[in-house]
Amino acid sequence: MAIEILTILEKGIWFGFAALGFAVLFNVPQRALLVVWLIGAAGGLTKLLLMQFNAGIVVATFAGASLIGILSVYAAHNKHAPPLVFSIPSVVPMIPGVFAYRMMLGLIKLSGTALTSDSYFQTIAETTGNGLKTIFILLALAAGVAIPMLISRKETIKNIRHKSDSFLDTQ
Amino acid sequence: MLLDVGTLLMSSGASTGRVRTTVNRIAEALGYDVELLITSRSLMLTVTEENGTDYTSSVRRTPPHGVNFKLVSGISRLSWRVIEDKLTIEQINQDINRLTSLPHYPRLVVLSLVALAGASFCRLFGGEGLELAVTFIATFFGLFIRQEAIKKQFNPYLAIVFASFAASMIAGLSVKLGIGDSPEHALGTSVLFLIPGVPLINSLTDLIDGNTLNGIVRGVNGFIMAFAIALGLMFAMKIYGL
Repeated sequence: MAIEILTILEKGIWFGFAALGFAVLFNVPQRALLVVWLIGAAGGLTKLLLMQFNAGIVVATFAGASLIGILSVYAAHNKHAPPLVFSIPSVVPMIPGVFAYRMMLGLIKLSGTALTSDSYFQTIAETTGNGLKTIFILLALAAGVAIPMLISRKETIKNIRHKSDSFLDTQ
Repeated sequence: MLLDVGTLLMSSGASTGRVRTTVNRIAEALGYDVELLITSRSLMLTVTEENGTDYTSSVRRTPPHGVNFKLVSGISRLSWRVIEDKLTIEQINQDINRLTSLPHYPRLVVLSLVALAGASFCRLFGGEGLELAVTFIATFFGLFIRQEAIKKQFNPYLAIVFASFAASMIAGLSVKLGIGDSPEHALGTSVLFLIPGVPLINSLTDLIDGNTLNGIVRGVNGFIMAFAIALGLMFAMKIYGL
Protein backbone atom coordinates (compact mmCIF):
# COMPACT_ATOMS: atom_id res chain seq x y z
CA MET A 1 0.00 0.00 0.00
CA ALA A 2 2.76 2.41 0.95
CA ILE A 3 4.49 1.72 -2.35
CA GLU A 4 1.27 2.28 -4.25
CA ILE A 5 0.88 5.67 -2.62
CA LEU A 6 4.44 6.55 -3.52
CA THR A 7 3.86 5.55 -7.15
CA ILE A 8 0.74 7.69 -7.28
CA LEU A 9 2.57 10.67 -5.80
CA GLU A 10 5.37 10.20 -8.30
CA LYS A 11 2.89 10.13 -11.16
CA GLY A 12 1.33 13.30 -9.79
CA ILE A 13 4.69 15.01 -10.24
CA TRP A 14 4.78 13.85 -13.86
CA PHE A 15 1.27 15.18 -14.40
CA GLY A 16 2.58 18.52 -13.22
CA PHE A 17 5.47 18.45 -15.70
CA ALA A 18 3.18 17.50 -18.57
CA ALA A 19 0.93 20.45 -17.67
CA LEU A 20 3.98 22.73 -17.47
CA GLY A 21 5.14 21.72 -20.95
CA PHE A 22 1.79 22.63 -22.46
CA ALA A 23 1.67 25.85 -20.49
CA VAL A 24 4.93 26.92 -22.12
CA LEU A 25 3.69 25.81 -25.53
CA PHE A 26 0.60 27.99 -25.08
CA ASN A 27 2.72 30.91 -23.86
CA VAL A 28 1.20 31.16 -20.40
CA PRO A 29 2.61 34.16 -18.46
CA GLN A 30 5.59 33.36 -16.27
CA ARG A 31 3.88 34.26 -12.99
CA ALA A 32 1.28 31.53 -13.63
CA LEU A 33 3.63 28.64 -14.47
CA LEU A 34 4.13 27.34 -10.92
CA VAL A 35 0.39 27.45 -10.31
CA VAL A 36 -0.23 25.48 -13.50
CA TRP A 37 2.22 22.84 -12.30
CA LEU A 38 0.45 22.57 -8.94
CA ILE A 39 -3.05 22.49 -10.42
CA GLY A 40 -2.04 19.90 -13.01
CA ALA A 41 -0.51 17.69 -10.33
CA ALA A 42 -3.55 18.08 -8.04
CA GLY A 43 -5.98 17.14 -10.82
CA GLY A 44 -3.87 14.16 -11.85
CA LEU A 45 -3.59 12.94 -8.25
CA THR A 46 -7.35 13.15 -7.80
CA LYS A 47 -7.88 11.06 -10.90
CA LEU A 48 -5.32 8.44 -9.89
CA LEU A 49 -6.60 8.20 -6.31
CA LEU A 50 -10.18 7.70 -7.46
CA MET A 51 -9.06 5.05 -9.90
CA GLN A 52 -7.23 3.36 -7.02
CA PHE A 53 -10.61 3.08 -5.30
CA ASN A 54 -12.14 1.49 -8.40
CA ALA A 55 -14.09 4.47 -9.66
CA GLY A 56 -14.29 4.16 -13.45
CA ILE A 57 -11.81 6.13 -15.51
CA VAL A 58 -14.55 8.42 -16.82
CA VAL A 59 -15.80 9.36 -13.35
CA ALA A 60 -12.25 9.75 -12.06
CA THR A 61 -11.38 12.02 -14.98
CA PHE A 62 -14.49 14.08 -14.42
CA ALA A 63 -13.59 14.56 -10.76
CA GLY A 64 -10.01 15.51 -11.60
CA ALA A 65 -11.13 17.95 -14.27
CA SER A 66 -13.70 19.52 -11.95
CA LEU A 67 -11.04 20.05 -9.29
CA ILE A 68 -8.85 21.67 -11.94
CA GLY A 69 -11.74 23.89 -12.99
CA ILE A 70 -12.45 25.02 -9.42
CA LEU A 71 -8.78 25.60 -8.56
CA SER A 72 -8.34 27.55 -11.80
CA VAL A 73 -11.13 29.91 -10.85
CA TYR A 74 -9.42 30.55 -7.49
CA ALA A 75 -6.04 30.94 -9.16
CA ALA A 76 -7.60 33.40 -11.59
CA HIS A 77 -8.72 35.54 -8.68
CA ASN A 78 -5.26 35.54 -7.15
CA LYS A 79 -3.09 35.89 -10.22
CA HIS A 80 -5.31 38.20 -12.26
CA ALA A 81 -5.54 36.02 -15.36
CA PRO A 82 -8.58 34.35 -16.94
CA PRO A 83 -9.28 30.85 -15.58
CA LEU A 84 -8.71 29.14 -18.92
CA VAL A 85 -5.05 30.15 -18.77
CA PHE A 86 -4.69 27.73 -15.85
CA SER A 87 -7.24 25.07 -16.67
CA ILE A 88 -6.43 24.17 -20.27
CA PRO A 89 -2.73 23.29 -19.82
CA SER A 90 -3.64 21.37 -16.65
CA VAL A 91 -6.24 19.11 -18.24
CA VAL A 92 -4.34 18.32 -21.42
CA PRO A 93 -2.24 15.61 -19.64
CA MET A 94 -5.49 13.79 -18.83
CA ILE A 95 -6.48 13.51 -22.48
CA PRO A 96 -6.84 9.79 -23.24
CA GLY A 97 -4.03 9.57 -25.76
CA VAL A 98 -3.43 5.87 -25.41
CA PHE A 99 -7.07 4.92 -25.93
CA ALA A 100 -7.25 7.17 -28.98
CA TYR A 101 -4.04 5.58 -30.23
CA ARG A 102 -5.40 2.06 -29.76
CA MET A 103 -8.64 2.99 -31.48
CA MET A 104 -6.65 4.34 -34.40
CA LEU A 105 -4.62 1.14 -34.57
CA GLY A 106 -7.85 -0.84 -34.55
CA LEU A 107 -9.32 1.22 -37.39
CA ILE A 108 -6.19 0.78 -39.46
CA LYS A 109 -6.31 -2.95 -38.79
CA LEU A 110 -10.01 -3.15 -39.68
CA SER A 111 -9.48 -1.44 -42.99
CA GLY A 112 -6.93 -4.10 -43.87
CA THR A 113 -8.54 -7.37 -42.70
CA ALA A 114 -11.12 -9.40 -44.57
CA LEU A 115 -14.67 -9.47 -43.20
CA THR A 116 -14.60 -13.25 -42.99
CA SER A 117 -11.45 -13.53 -40.91
CA ASP A 118 -11.80 -14.72 -37.32
CA SER A 119 -10.21 -11.72 -35.67
CA TYR A 120 -12.50 -9.22 -37.41
CA PHE A 121 -15.23 -9.08 -34.81
CA GLN A 122 -12.85 -9.11 -31.91
CA THR A 123 -11.05 -6.14 -33.45
CA ILE A 124 -14.39 -4.37 -33.90
CA ALA A 125 -15.25 -4.94 -30.24
CA GLU A 126 -11.88 -3.68 -29.01
CA THR A 127 -11.91 -0.67 -31.33
CA THR A 128 -15.44 0.32 -30.31
CA GLY A 129 -14.52 0.00 -26.64
CA ASN A 130 -11.42 2.14 -26.98
CA GLY A 131 -13.23 4.69 -29.13
CA LEU A 132 -16.10 5.05 -26.69
CA LYS A 133 -13.69 5.44 -23.79
CA THR A 134 -11.85 8.15 -25.71
CA ILE A 135 -15.01 10.08 -26.45
CA PHE A 136 -16.48 9.83 -22.96
CA ILE A 137 -13.22 10.78 -21.24
CA LEU A 138 -12.93 13.80 -23.53
CA LEU A 139 -16.49 14.85 -22.73
CA ALA A 140 -15.85 14.37 -19.00
CA LEU A 141 -12.71 16.50 -19.25
CA ALA A 142 -14.34 19.35 -21.10
CA ALA A 143 -17.47 19.33 -18.98
CA GLY A 144 -15.49 19.10 -15.75
CA VAL A 145 -13.45 22.14 -16.66
CA ALA A 146 -16.23 24.18 -18.20
CA ILE A 147 -18.85 23.85 -15.49
CA PRO A 148 -16.91 25.56 -12.63
CA MET A 149 -16.01 28.37 -15.03
CA LEU A 150 -19.64 28.87 -16.06
CA ILE A 151 -20.81 28.86 -12.44
CA SER A 152 -18.15 31.33 -11.38
CA ARG A 153 -18.91 33.64 -14.28
CA LYS A 154 -22.37 34.23 -12.85
CA GLU A 155 -20.75 35.18 -9.56
CA THR A 156 -18.47 37.59 -11.34
CA ILE A 157 -21.41 39.39 -12.86
CA LYS A 158 -23.00 39.68 -9.43
CA ASN A 159 -19.81 41.12 -8.04
CA ILE A 160 -19.72 43.71 -10.79
CA ARG A 161 -23.25 44.81 -10.04
CA HIS A 162 -23.08 44.91 -6.28
CA LYS A 163 -19.48 45.60 -5.40
CA SER A 164 -18.26 47.77 -8.18
CA ASP A 165 -15.29 48.94 -6.12
CA SER A 166 -13.49 45.59 -6.15
CA PHE A 167 -13.01 44.84 -9.85
CA LEU A 168 -9.60 43.32 -9.56
CA ASP A 169 -10.74 40.80 -6.97
CA THR A 170 -13.22 39.29 -9.35
CA GLN A 171 -10.97 38.36 -12.21
CA MET B 1 -9.60 49.17 -31.74
CA LEU B 2 -12.43 46.98 -30.40
CA LEU B 3 -12.02 44.84 -33.51
CA ASP B 4 -8.35 44.45 -32.64
CA VAL B 5 -9.23 43.28 -29.15
CA GLY B 6 -11.84 40.83 -30.37
CA THR B 7 -9.91 39.29 -33.22
CA LEU B 8 -6.74 38.97 -31.16
CA LEU B 9 -8.62 37.22 -28.36
CA MET B 10 -10.43 34.92 -30.77
CA SER B 11 -7.26 33.81 -32.50
CA SER B 12 -5.18 33.30 -29.38
CA GLY B 13 -7.55 30.83 -27.82
CA ALA B 14 -10.29 32.58 -25.87
CA SER B 15 -13.83 31.20 -25.89
CA THR B 16 -16.56 33.08 -27.73
CA GLY B 17 -18.22 34.12 -24.49
CA ARG B 18 -14.98 35.65 -23.23
CA VAL B 19 -14.49 37.64 -26.43
CA ARG B 20 -17.99 39.04 -26.12
CA THR B 21 -17.63 39.90 -22.41
CA THR B 22 -14.28 41.58 -22.84
CA VAL B 23 -15.24 43.67 -25.86
CA ASN B 24 -18.48 44.72 -24.17
CA ARG B 25 -16.62 45.64 -21.01
CA ILE B 26 -14.17 47.91 -22.80
CA ALA B 27 -16.88 49.50 -24.95
CA GLU B 28 -19.08 50.23 -21.96
CA ALA B 29 -16.22 51.82 -20.07
CA LEU B 30 -15.61 54.12 -23.02
CA GLY B 31 -19.28 55.02 -23.18
CA TYR B 32 -20.44 53.09 -26.25
CA ASP B 33 -22.99 50.37 -26.91
CA VAL B 34 -21.71 47.50 -28.97
CA GLU B 35 -23.34 44.54 -30.73
CA LEU B 36 -21.15 41.69 -31.91
CA LEU B 37 -21.32 38.92 -34.47
CA ILE B 38 -18.55 36.50 -33.67
CA THR B 39 -17.57 33.73 -36.05
CA SER B 40 -14.42 31.71 -36.06
CA ARG B 41 -12.80 33.49 -39.01
CA SER B 42 -14.12 37.02 -38.68
CA LEU B 43 -15.63 39.48 -36.27
CA MET B 44 -18.34 42.03 -37.03
CA LEU B 45 -19.46 44.77 -34.72
CA THR B 46 -21.71 47.77 -34.60
CA VAL B 47 -20.80 50.54 -32.19
CA THR B 48 -23.52 52.95 -31.12
CA GLU B 49 -22.91 56.07 -29.09
CA GLU B 50 -24.89 56.09 -25.90
CA ASN B 51 -27.25 58.87 -26.97
CA GLY B 52 -28.13 56.68 -29.95
CA THR B 53 -27.48 59.11 -32.78
CA ASP B 54 -24.20 57.93 -34.28
CA TYR B 55 -23.21 54.42 -35.17
CA THR B 56 -20.53 52.64 -37.17
CA SER B 57 -20.22 49.04 -38.34
CA SER B 58 -17.11 47.19 -39.24
CA VAL B 59 -15.88 43.70 -40.08
CA ARG B 60 -12.43 42.28 -39.54
CA ARG B 61 -10.91 38.95 -40.46
CA THR B 62 -9.45 36.96 -37.56
CA PRO B 63 -5.70 36.52 -38.04
CA PRO B 64 -4.52 32.90 -38.00
CA HIS B 65 -2.24 33.11 -34.94
CA GLY B 66 -1.35 30.28 -32.64
CA VAL B 67 -2.57 29.90 -29.09
CA ASN B 68 -1.16 32.67 -26.90
CA PHE B 69 -2.44 32.81 -23.36
CA LYS B 70 -0.16 35.69 -22.45
CA LEU B 71 -2.25 37.79 -24.81
CA VAL B 72 -5.57 36.51 -23.49
CA SER B 73 -4.60 37.26 -19.92
CA GLY B 74 -3.02 40.59 -20.84
CA ILE B 75 -6.13 41.82 -22.63
CA SER B 76 -8.32 40.65 -19.77
CA ARG B 77 -6.28 42.74 -17.32
CA LEU B 78 -6.33 45.62 -19.78
CA SER B 79 -10.12 45.56 -19.90
CA TRP B 80 -10.28 45.95 -16.12
CA ARG B 81 -7.78 48.78 -16.23
CA VAL B 82 -9.93 50.54 -18.82
CA ILE B 83 -12.75 50.66 -16.27
CA GLU B 84 -10.59 51.41 -13.24
CA ASP B 85 -8.09 53.92 -14.53
CA LYS B 86 -10.29 55.40 -17.31
CA LEU B 87 -7.69 54.83 -20.01
CA THR B 88 -8.09 56.78 -23.23
CA ILE B 89 -8.38 55.05 -26.59
CA GLU B 90 -4.81 56.03 -27.37
CA GLN B 91 -3.50 54.45 -24.19
CA ILE B 92 -5.45 51.28 -24.93
CA ASN B 93 -4.00 51.10 -28.43
CA GLN B 94 -0.52 51.49 -27.02
CA ASP B 95 -1.16 48.74 -24.54
CA ILE B 96 -2.43 46.38 -27.24
CA ASN B 97 0.68 47.04 -29.29
CA ARG B 98 2.81 46.31 -26.25
CA LEU B 99 0.92 43.07 -25.62
CA THR B 100 1.19 41.80 -29.19
CA SER B 101 4.94 42.43 -29.23
CA LEU B 102 5.56 40.58 -25.95
CA PRO B 103 8.09 37.83 -26.60
CA HIS B 104 7.26 34.14 -26.52
CA TYR B 105 9.43 31.85 -24.45
CA PRO B 106 12.83 31.14 -26.00
CA ARG B 107 12.57 28.37 -28.56
CA LEU B 108 14.93 26.01 -26.78
CA VAL B 109 12.99 26.35 -23.53
CA VAL B 110 9.73 25.57 -25.30
CA LEU B 111 11.22 22.57 -27.10
CA SER B 112 12.80 21.12 -23.95
CA LEU B 113 9.81 21.63 -21.69
CA VAL B 114 7.35 20.21 -24.23
CA ALA B 115 9.70 17.27 -24.71
CA LEU B 116 9.72 16.86 -20.93
CA ALA B 117 5.92 16.89 -21.05
CA GLY B 118 6.07 14.13 -23.67
CA ALA B 119 8.32 12.09 -21.42
CA SER B 120 5.87 12.69 -18.55
CA PHE B 121 3.07 11.31 -20.69
CA CYS B 122 5.14 8.23 -21.36
CA ARG B 123 5.75 7.77 -17.63
CA LEU B 124 2.05 8.19 -16.87
CA PHE B 125 1.10 5.48 -19.30
CA GLY B 126 3.60 3.09 -17.78
CA GLY B 127 6.86 3.69 -19.66
CA GLU B 128 10.24 3.26 -17.98
CA GLY B 129 13.67 4.89 -18.24
CA LEU B 130 14.60 4.19 -21.84
CA GLU B 131 11.15 4.82 -23.26
CA LEU B 132 11.10 8.15 -21.48
CA ALA B 133 14.32 9.13 -23.24
CA VAL B 134 12.96 7.99 -26.62
CA THR B 135 9.75 9.98 -26.14
CA PHE B 136 11.76 13.02 -25.09
CA ILE B 137 13.81 12.95 -28.29
CA ALA B 138 10.83 12.14 -30.51
CA THR B 139 8.75 14.98 -29.07
CA PHE B 140 11.67 17.41 -29.29
CA PHE B 141 12.16 16.79 -33.00
CA GLY B 142 8.45 16.50 -33.73
CA LEU B 143 7.79 19.94 -32.29
CA PHE B 144 10.85 21.33 -34.04
CA ILE B 145 9.49 20.09 -37.38
CA ARG B 146 6.08 21.56 -36.65
CA GLN B 147 7.55 24.98 -35.83
CA GLU B 148 9.62 24.90 -39.00
CA ALA B 149 6.63 23.87 -41.13
CA ILE B 150 4.53 26.68 -39.68
CA LYS B 151 7.36 29.14 -40.30
CA LYS B 152 7.47 28.02 -43.94
CA GLN B 153 3.70 28.67 -44.05
CA PHE B 154 2.51 25.19 -44.76
CA ASN B 155 -1.13 24.45 -44.13
CA PRO B 156 -1.41 24.07 -40.32
CA TYR B 157 -2.96 20.61 -40.59
CA LEU B 158 -0.16 19.51 -42.90
CA ALA B 159 2.33 20.82 -40.34
CA ILE B 160 0.73 18.50 -37.78
CA VAL B 161 0.97 15.56 -40.18
CA PHE B 162 4.69 16.28 -40.67
CA ALA B 163 5.30 16.60 -36.93
CA SER B 164 3.38 13.47 -36.06
CA PHE B 165 5.19 11.58 -38.82
CA ALA B 166 8.61 12.75 -37.62
CA ALA B 167 7.89 11.96 -33.97
CA SER B 168 6.51 8.51 -34.68
CA MET B 169 9.36 7.71 -37.08
CA ILE B 170 11.81 8.31 -34.22
CA ALA B 171 9.72 6.46 -31.64
CA GLY B 172 8.93 3.72 -34.15
CA LEU B 173 12.63 3.09 -34.61
CA SER B 174 12.84 2.09 -30.95
CA VAL B 175 9.96 -0.35 -31.44
CA LYS B 176 11.69 -1.81 -34.48
CA LEU B 177 15.00 -2.19 -32.65
CA GLY B 178 13.31 -3.37 -29.45
CA ILE B 179 14.80 -0.72 -27.17
CA GLY B 180 13.38 -0.88 -23.65
CA ASP B 181 10.74 -3.22 -22.24
CA SER B 182 7.60 -1.75 -23.77
CA PRO B 183 8.62 0.54 -26.64
CA GLU B 184 5.04 0.79 -27.94
CA HIS B 185 4.38 3.17 -25.03
CA ALA B 186 6.97 5.48 -26.53
CA LEU B 187 5.29 5.29 -29.95
CA GLY B 188 1.83 5.93 -28.53
CA THR B 189 2.86 8.89 -26.40
CA SER B 190 5.35 10.52 -28.74
CA VAL B 191 2.58 12.24 -30.73
CA LEU B 192 0.55 13.40 -27.72
CA PHE B 193 2.13 16.86 -27.68
CA LEU B 194 0.11 17.62 -30.83
CA ILE B 195 -3.26 17.02 -29.15
CA PRO B 196 -5.70 19.84 -30.00
CA GLY B 197 -6.57 20.52 -26.37
CA VAL B 198 -7.49 24.17 -26.78
CA PRO B 199 -9.94 23.74 -29.70
CA LEU B 200 -11.64 20.74 -28.10
CA ILE B 201 -12.13 22.36 -24.69
CA ASN B 202 -13.11 25.74 -26.13
CA SER B 203 -15.50 23.89 -28.39
CA LEU B 204 -17.36 22.43 -25.44
CA THR B 205 -17.26 25.72 -23.53
CA ASP B 206 -18.83 27.44 -26.53
CA LEU B 207 -21.47 24.72 -26.94
CA ILE B 208 -22.47 24.93 -23.26
CA ASP B 209 -22.52 28.72 -23.53
CA GLY B 210 -25.01 28.56 -26.40
CA ASN B 211 -22.53 29.63 -29.08
CA THR B 212 -23.41 26.45 -30.92
CA LEU B 213 -22.05 27.39 -34.32
CA ASN B 214 -18.62 28.42 -33.04
CA GLY B 215 -18.57 25.35 -30.84
CA ILE B 216 -19.17 23.09 -33.82
CA VAL B 217 -16.57 24.88 -35.91
CA ARG B 218 -13.96 24.50 -33.18
CA GLY B 219 -14.90 20.88 -32.60
CA VAL B 220 -14.55 20.04 -36.28
CA ASN B 221 -11.24 21.89 -36.31
CA GLY B 222 -10.06 19.80 -33.36
CA PHE B 223 -11.11 16.58 -35.04
CA ILE B 224 -9.27 17.41 -38.24
CA MET B 225 -6.17 18.04 -36.13
CA ALA B 226 -6.63 14.68 -34.40
CA PHE B 227 -7.05 13.06 -37.79
CA ALA B 228 -3.87 14.74 -39.01
CA ILE B 229 -1.99 13.27 -36.03
CA ALA B 230 -3.35 9.83 -36.85
CA LEU B 231 -2.42 10.20 -40.50
CA GLY B 232 1.21 10.96 -39.71
CA LEU B 233 1.31 8.11 -37.21
CA MET B 234 -0.17 5.75 -39.78
CA PHE B 235 2.41 6.63 -42.44
CA ALA B 236 5.23 5.92 -40.00
CA MET B 237 3.71 2.63 -38.90
CA LYS B 238 3.14 1.48 -42.46
CA ILE B 239 6.76 2.28 -43.27
CA TYR B 240 8.02 0.24 -40.33
CA GLY B 241 5.44 -2.45 -41.08
CA LEU B 242 4.12 -2.50 -37.51
